[in-house]
Amino acid sequence: MPTPAKTGSILAAALALPGVVPSAQAQVTVPNATLIQFKYLYYKDYQENNGVTPGSSGDRMTVKSPALYLLAPISDSWVFEIGAVYDNITGASPYYHTVLSGASGEGVEDKRLAGDITVTKYFGRTAVSVRGAYSTEDDYRSIAGGFTLRHATPDQNTTFTIGIGYSSDDVFPQDGPVFTRTKNTLDGIAGITQVLSRNDVGQVNLYYANQSGYLTDPYKAIYGVDQRPDSRDQFALLVRWNHYFQSLNATLRSSYRYYHDDWEVDANTFTAEWGQELPEGFTLTPSARYTTQSAAFFYYDPVYDATLGAPFPPGYATNPNAFYTSDQRLSAFGGITLGVKLAKVFAEGWSVDGKAEYYEQRGDWRIGGDGSPGLQAFKAQLYQVGVNKKF
Amino acid sequence: MKRLIAVASALAFSVLLIGCETVQPWQKGNLAKPDMAFGPDPLQTRFEEHTYFSKEGASGGMNVGGGGCGCN
Repeated sequence: MPTPAKTGSILAAALALPGVVPSAQAQVTVPNATLIQFKYLYYKDYQENNGVTPGSSGDRMTVKSPALYLLAPISDSWVFEIGAVYDNITGASPYYHTVLSGASGEGVEDKRLAGDITVTKYFGRTAVSVRGAYSTEDDYRSIAGGFTLRHATPDQNTTFTIGIGYSSDDVFPQDGPVFTRTKNTLDGIAGITQVLSRNDVGQVNLYYANQSGYLTDPYKAIYGVDQRPDSRDQFALLVRWNHYFQSLNATLRSSYRYYHDDWEVDANTFTAEWGQELPEGFTLTPSARYTTQSAAFFYYDPVYDATLGAPFPPGYATNPNAFYTSDQRLSAFGGITLGVKLAKVFAEGWSVDGKAEYYEQRGDWRIGGDGSPGLQAFKAQLYQVGVNKKF
Repeated sequence: MKRLIAVASALAFSVLLIGCETVQPWQKGNLAKPDMAFGPDPLQTRFEEHTYFSKEGASGGMNVGGGGCGCN
């Protein structure tokens, strides 16, 4: 006869995201339930106007994504996970800074299909996961794989994780000069997940990635000026902490990430989610995220060469082979996300959920330095609905 | 230098973790709640990670071998 705690831990393990990084409560145990998840994401991003004409539409990308996830223990020591997502992408993307491609009447249309499979074999308190992933678009293809090892101490209060991954990508733009270039990413992770008390669990991950090859944005290189180094070293430290408030029947999930790369992007990201249990199987989860980042060393502000004009940076004619980007993602800004999620658990393993989020980036919102001037605020809305079944 | 500070604080935090109380299996009822997992909703985690990966300069820290996309 399992104790309530034991039954619960199996449940939690089944709902968690295994094969990647140890999830709840620092344990390495085989999940004993199958989980099927379906989710649909509607995403749109926009700015005030197209960057050329005041009062024009500033709509950027719209993405509609149905996704499936399956977690299936097929024996007492083997677990399969399968994920699949389809992205339907339409809209306009900036040529340079916040000047949209839509300004010339030309839009972007793309479809992305991605799938991944993870196989995990458990050897007592040790789990070995092998993962393969494939993603294809009209102008991009990625083949990736990873290997993760998790090991728990005998008391199942501490789990050590190490992982290594590799991704081999091809870029073949469908606009402008025809070419295929490659981009490879090698990454590694080392982490500890620790039960801190009967209501606290913490995690620390160290992450490193090396990207090499064609890292330039091919479309910004055609319509703007985009020339990036052919390698990028990225480092991240992620600290996560979950606390359960017994008297409130609520969970606080929080995280902090420090990020640094040799393009001189430094970022600090904080997240917090409050999962409030309510009667009738409902859970209400408000969430907040703040990030602040510095600009890449080769990002230039929207001040253009006196002779050549936009999109050329000052001095471009005398130094055309230097590194340049006008990509808003590599500018200095602060970003805030606010969200709310409502979930309900039904009988026989069914549950449904819906989540709405608003995200905005502004130069002014940066902390720890000046934000990049002269860009329109970037805004996005995300809506997710999901159905889950466990058996 | 900043990297050094980050690594040092990670190590300090790790030492702190190892020095904490031992929780017995029968005391793990709350820890076993689905909401106590890191990323309790797999597809939600994927969607949100993918969004930030494609719209910000920083990424990584949760897993490896994720693969790239033309969105970035």
